Amino acid sequence: MPQDAAHAPETLLDVRNLSVDFRTPRGRVKALRDVSFPIRRNRIVGIVGESGSGKSTVLWALLGLLAKNADVMGGEVRFGDRDLLHASEAQLRATRGEEISVVFQDPMTSQIPVLTYGRQMLDILYRRPNVSATEKRHMAVEMLRKVGIPDPDRRIDQYPHHFSGGMRQRAGIAMALLTGPQLLLADEPTTALDVTMEAQIIHLLQDLQKELDATIVVVSHNLGLIAELCDDVVVMYAGEVIEAGDVREIFHNAQHPYTRALLECDPARINDVSRKLPVIPGDIPDLSKALSGCIYAPRCQRVLPVCRETLPPDVARGEMSLARCHLLDGPHRDSSWPPPLDVMTVGQGEGTAAKPARAQRDAPLLDISDLSVQFEVVGPIQARLKGLTQRHVDAVLDVSLSVAPGETVGLVGESGSGKTTLGRCVLNLLPSQAGHVRFEGEDIRNMPEGRFKPLRRDMAMMFQDPVGSLSPRKSVRALITEPFQIHGIAGVDLDAEAERLAEMVRLPKHFLSRYPHELSGGQARRVGVARALALNPKLIIADEPTAGLDVSVQGEILNLMADLQAEHGLGYLIITHNLPVVRHIADRLAIMYLGRIVEEGPTDEVFARPVHPYTRALVEGVPQPDPDRRRVHVSISGEVPSLLNRPKGCDFAGRCPVAQDRCRTEKPPHLTMTDGRRHACHFPLG
Amino acid sequence: MLYYLTKRLGLSALVIGLVVLVLFSLLYFIPGDPATIALGPRATEEAIARYAEKMHLDEPVWRQFLIYIGNALTGDLGLDVFSDRPVTAIILERIGFTLSLVGVGMGWAVLLGIPLGCLAAVRPNSWLDRVTGILSVGTIAVPSFLVSIWALLIFAVHLRWLPAIGAGEPGQVGDQLIHLILPAFAIGLSWVGYLARMVRASMLEVMGENYIRSARAFGLRPRRVIFGYALRVAILPTITLIGMGFGGMISSTVFAEIIFARPGLGKLIFDAVMARNFPIVQGAVLVATGLYVLVVLFSDTLIAWFDPRVRESL
Repeated sequence: MPQDAAHAPETLLDVRNLSVDFRTPRGRVKALRDVSFPIRRNRIVGIVGESGSGKSTVLWALLGLLAKNADVMGGEVRFGDRDLLHASEAQLRATRGEEISVVFQDPMTSQIPVLTYGRQMLDILYRRPNVSATEKRHMAVEMLRKVGIPDPDRRIDQYPHHFSGGMRQRAGIAMALLTGPQLLLADEPTTALDVTMEAQIIHLLQDLQKELDATIVVVSHNLGLIAELCDDVVVMYAGEVIEAGDVREIFHNAQHPYTRALLECDPARINDVSRKLPVIPGDIPDLSKALSGCIYAPRCQRVLPVCRETLPPDVARGEMSLARCHLLDGPHRDSSWPPPLDVMTVGQGEGTAAKPARAQRDAPLLDISDLSVQFEVVGPIQARLKGLTQRHVDAVLDVSLSVAPGETVGLVGESGSGKTTLGRCVLNLLPSQAGHVRFEGEDIRNMPEGRFKPLRRDMAMMFQDPVGSLSPRKSVRALITEPFQIHGIAGVDLDAEAERLAEMVRLPKHFLSRYPHELSGGQARRVGVARALALNPKLIIADEPTAGLDVSVQGEILNLMADLQAEHGLGYLIITHNLPVVRHIADRLAIMYLGRIVEEGPTDEVFARPVHPYTRALVEGVPQPDPDRRRVHVSISGEVPSLLNRPKGCDFAGRCPVAQDRCRTEKPPHLTMTDGRRHACHFPLG
Repeated sequence: MLYYLTKRLGLSALVIGLVVLVLFSLLYFIPGDPATIALGPRATEEAIARYAEKMHLDEPVWRQFLIYIGNALTGDLGLDVFSDRPVTAIILERIGFTLSLVGVGMGWAVLLGIPLGCLAAVRPNSWLDRVTGILSVGTIAVPSFLVSIWALLIFAVHLRWLPAIGAGEPGQVGDQLIHLILPAFAIGLSWVGYLARMVRASMLEVMGENYIRSARAFGLRPRRVIFGYALRVAILPTITLIGMGFGGMISSTVFAEIIFARPGLGKLIFDAVMARNFPIVQGAVLVATGLYVLVVLFSDTLIAWFDPRVRESL
């Protein structure tokens, strides 16, 4: 059926009634049920949902690349005059890469490490026998140039590990766009990247979409990214589309209670800086069991008896807008729903709301002064052979920071800023080269393990990966009580302790006999908190405490941490790159860049009036979950320099929008301002 | 890279030096006087004294050791006790037979084992995968000397398809190749199993990597994805295994060469040990060690060549 270009259909790809099951040992999991939505030409469509929503399954179904245990139970995917769901493997392969292409989530693992970009891109163009190898290479170089890779003629012959994370994702976009596909799928394109890189990639995708008239589908859990980038939004929950519509309709006038709740839980959206974050109580339903009624009913704040029995209607608002809820139409229609945006519809979770007593600043629990950590990069013999004088890099340089009892200090930085190294050094897991680390007045830096071990009871660590940091062969009970065994504490009723700690972190008792792989991310994180709390520590160092958690769950963990702090007067050092989260929980912030603290001060003030240009870039770098607050420019360009060639002057000078000659020659010292804030900048922002 | 090669060569020299030291000290730990052992119980005093002088037996041990090392460096591994011929020449005569046996034995194992492992990994749980799995375990479990004897009985004695013993007429390549078939089959068989299992395991792991999914999502041909992408990464641990396998194979040749009466390095060592012909034992073991070290060095370098990340970290 030839198509007249002037009457090209609005809809490029149409997903209709897509249902997918996964065969698992526990039975069939109905991962997608009756998913329908159109993708309109020249639009950026966002599919947003939490983990388990099925958003990635939709994406792989479009490509015919579902996992081997997936069964397509029904539906169709119309693309032109074809149905991709029922196309042959040969037809699908002809479509992949040529007509539909993909940008992957993690550029670190999705590009083959042993082939150059030139080779990989040549491979993608294998279906063009009439184009010579030289021309193909030229196409690849031009595409790399277009996505902002400097010096593409030379860099095309490099391997992925030569590229930084942001550059790799640019190259990934170049590979996807190389064939000029009609549809570009992007699977969490910025999740693996730092804030400043994320902003750059969002703008790159926006610019490329305009320039190439492309149609893009972005799958993400990040509401800010969706609001900033997309035109149309599809909201998924537990394998169903529960709402779809124009980006402004979704963000300003969400119809479905889940969409509302999701938006309200996003810390970036909440201006009221209180310790309590809203949460959606409950967990995503078990999709291997029989389902009836509204899928969101068990967690919904506005649930009606009918919701548990009857599937709600799809209430259409416009061409592609719909929401699936009883409140919107039919006999249960509620004309007061949805309430205005400033009305909260979700609870704040359980627990006390007590604000902890502010601690005395003169008796710090942890006091770090002028700490430096060096890493050896080449051995002594090799250095001599190669004539290198610099054998070490400074991973942490002149860092001073303190944490008082009952205080939460946020240590913020991008990857490679040295924040995790600093945390490990405090816990005496790494040797340091200079400075002091005092814990309750005692210098613990490089203390022998034998003397340090008793102190480990007072300082606990919450590790970054909630599931990966738990031994898969131990039950939750054994994991929670492990600290007692490590420290050889006898005379404790371990079972009673396990129950006490589980109750403390609000983990139901029957979870004690489970194993880590049977836990959700939030539950595993609770186990991590319980382990950290087991020996009544005074200081907890939390490395990315909410990484990998859904928005609706991270509030629970943060509220729990705040409650425990109020009860026990704990000091927290929270290491993170997530600014919206620390903004809600930290009393003070320290911003790290390339191993140095560039700014430090009370959280509210750092956010309201950043002094260092880097801080400002970070604060502005967070995409806002509001399509009316899209940024028009990227505040900083470039990327973090390598520690191997630390700039002579200010570390940030190369990327700083206000840098002057002095910044490039002279390293700014740490200065204390009249209000007690500290910074390291020659020309602080007013 | 240059630094890496220098370092590795230095380490290799150290390994060989240690082997020489062990071999050399063995002579002094076994009971009996080397000259008496060499010349037999009925040698005259005079002959023993002459022999002792020629072999520097009256020098202190450490000098003897240095003399041996110095000679070895110039290619002189001493003289055969019985024939007085240079050990180096004897080894050079024989080494070709062993190298061709190991080369062909490992060669056919690689050519069969790697594709089998690949195919098994691409279609896990297919009949081919199951058959490969059973055969792998079976061939690994059977020792090579048993395979040798069975092969000899079946193909040479009963069927009379292939010659039973010897290495073939000197100078006739065809005849020599025919004589290679049975022993190479015998020593390579278990390696087919090893390699198939190894390649299958690492291919299965690599096929689950994100970059394989990327290649499929870009619509590359399955053949290109499997051989150009997955195998290129999955082969790396196998290369190490093959390199180390050469060492094991040099020892399996001892059985094969005895059973098939091939005049190789293994048979030479065996005969020399039986006859207490120590200069030959020392020299042959030294050469075998040197070969092994070189092959391992070569396989490590090959990995560096395949994997740019390794190449640059050298």
